[in-house]
Amino acid sequence: MKMKLYSTKIVALSAITVFLLGSCGADKDSPGYEFMPDMYRSPAIEPYVDYGHLKERENMDSKYHISALVPPSGTVPYYGTDSATVMMMLPYSRLANVSFRETHGLYNSNLSMENEYELAAADRNPLTLTAENADAIFKTGKELYNTNCAHCHGEKGNGEGPMVASGAYVGVPDYANLTNLSDGQLFYSIYYGKGSMGAHGPILTKKEIWTLVHYVRKFQNADYGPGMTMTADTTAVEM
Amino acid sequence: MFRINVKWCIGLIAAFALTASPMSIAQGDALFKAKCATCHQVFKDGTGPKLYEVRKKWEAGGAEPEAIFQWVKNWQVAVAKYDYAKSVESWSPSAMSTFPDLTDDQITSIFDWIDSQVEGGDAAGGATAQTTAVEGVEEESNLTWVWVIMAIIFVTIVLAIGGVRRQLKAAAADADGESFDPGMSYGEEFKQWAWKNRKYVGLAGLVIVICVVVTLFLGLYTIGVVEDYQPSQPIAFPHATHAGINGIDCKYCHNSVTKSRSAGLPTVNVCMNCHKQINGRTPEQQEKIAAIYEAAGWNPEGAGKYTGDTKPIVWNKVHVLPDHVYFSHKQHVVVGNVDCKQCHGDMTKMVETAKVQPVEELNKVDGNIKLTKATLTMGWCIECHKEKEVSLGALDTKKDGYYDEIHKRLMNNDKKLYEKYLEDGKVTVSELGGWECAKCHY
Repeated sequence: MKMKLYSTKIVALSAITVFLLGSCGADKDSPGYEFMPDMYRSPAIEPYVDYGHLKERENMDSKYHISALVPPSGTVPYYGTDSATVMMMLPYSRLANVSFRETHGLYNSNLSMENEYELAAADRNPLTLTAENADAIFKTGKELYNTNCAHCHGEKGNGEGPMVASGAYVGVPDYANLTNLSDGQLFYSIYYGKGSMGAHGPILTKKEIWTLVHYVRKFQNADYGPGMTMTADTTAVEM
Repeated sequence: MFRINVKWCIGLIAAFALTASPMSIAQGDALFKAKCATCHQVFKDGTGPKLYEVRKKWEAGGAEPEAIFQWVKNWQVAVAKYDYAKSVESWSPSAMSTFPDLTDDQITSIFDWIDSQVEGGDAAGGATAQTTAVEGVEEESNLTWVWVIMAIIFVTIVLAIGGVRRQLKAAAADADGESFDPGMSYGEEFKQWAWKNRKYVGLAGLVIVICVVVTLFLGLYTIGVVEDYQPSQPIAFPHATHAGINGIDCKYCHNSVTKSRSAGLPTVNVCMNCHKQINGRTPEQQEKIAAIYEAAGWNPEGAGKYTGDTKPIVWNKVHVLPDHVYFSHKQHVVVGNVDCKQCHGDMTKMVETAKVQPVEELNKVDGNIKLTKATLTMGWCIECHKEKEVSLGALDTKKDGYYDEIHKRLMNNDKKLYEKYLEDGKVTVSELGGWECAKCHY
């Protein structure tokens, strides 16, 4: 009887030891101990924080929800008082085609039954090139292009970026073959996507896209600069 | 490589055997790349359907021979004229471009070139080269557990032997007819021994106490240090493939880095800009990419289409700063012109999921300011603000940049202090207020 009690003690002791040592093992998904946990996670809303679990309480309503709220519909960001800039930054007037629901996943946007891509051919680039701003626009354009486009379209605009060179992606056009497109159509394609290309409207502002349109023209015509515009039929013409 | 060449040769021979002349095939190659390749691939459906032996397909479907030529030139006319063209119109909601300039001969040469291609030839060559770059991460076995189990077994054996010894003694005494005197317990025995050697025991005790206190303090220093923190992620994203092999700029996916205090996680929309076409070559890749499709609500069958049934991907945050620190990516990347790798290391070589790079790793990266304190601690920030120079020599007071303004005010307010700053020939962040508490804590 006594012996049995003794071995029970040993089992209990080793079980406790295993439990205590086991609880020392770090949770891979926890950054570890903090000095003042409530200074790390305050109730003030921060981006990329799951507020479904706050102060040891589960709140299923906000679990897996983005903490940032969507602005009320029709909200326009403030871009200063320069009317030209404000006009340029107003929401894009052309709508995506209904087919973009299935091809580009635009389920939550207003859609149009018409082929607005064709209509966009009439749109002019509101960012007019002048002798003073041309260099700055092309410089910003180059930075934006190298960040957002060059991995597919190539630094030279020939459709041979590192994505294509590595064999991962096929079917990127050479800008030299796209001279029949107008500025407005280039904008529309960047904003809503075209063919395999996805929409870039969500990650670029309208001013940035118009800057890119200028920069892409530079690939098609090395002399592209102030006072020139690209028409839908052929290449650059003097205004 | 050799195999690919052989396949190519077979392909070319097969092409010669067909009616097409090599001249027209070469022309078809160029035309396909210029006009069709943006949407069509030879063996794979994309924005447009795959085109391998498309003429046979139309023939089998009962289309008139001229229908397909009309389709290429202007598909809307073809739909109005031919029944088969009408039946394929609904393949995808995206409308095909029209090519009224192409002649029948040119269209024939394009189709001849397409049919002369051999599956797994050219394109797959690049594919195999790519897959080797992504390799599984070696699983690191946790050795501590082995030691814990061995220690428990050892202690159990020692105690068991002691117990058995005692029991045997008692049994022996019982057999001899003597009454068993359990004598002193282990505790009492130890006490007696310790008192006998109290000089050494006392000294050892002191050493143990000091060790424990020192370990405790060192342990306190590791609280809040998150170097090497690498949480699990819902999709094991390899930065090496995206930023390394495919040369995608950090700022393309983390696009709010220049506009917001948070660098931003890419929306699934950004993933789908490429992954609409790229669905993975190995089963492992396909599984990961299928998770993106599920999140985006993309059904990759046929032409592929969005179903509108989206689902969030719940990533685990890696770089967690306390709430009482204000850190802005925009300030550092745009105004301070700090490269991503200064704090995040060389992600073009990171095959595993993202982690907080320890400072030793960061110091190995070319062009980084060398620091000593642990990554993401305040000491680390402070050190960098002391080292990082805003400019060599005096700043330009005529410009209206962020630092130029601070500098202008400094020059007007305290000329002497300003001259002192310029003694070492450079203006650092800390000299322009980078060490003010309220810069980051407010």
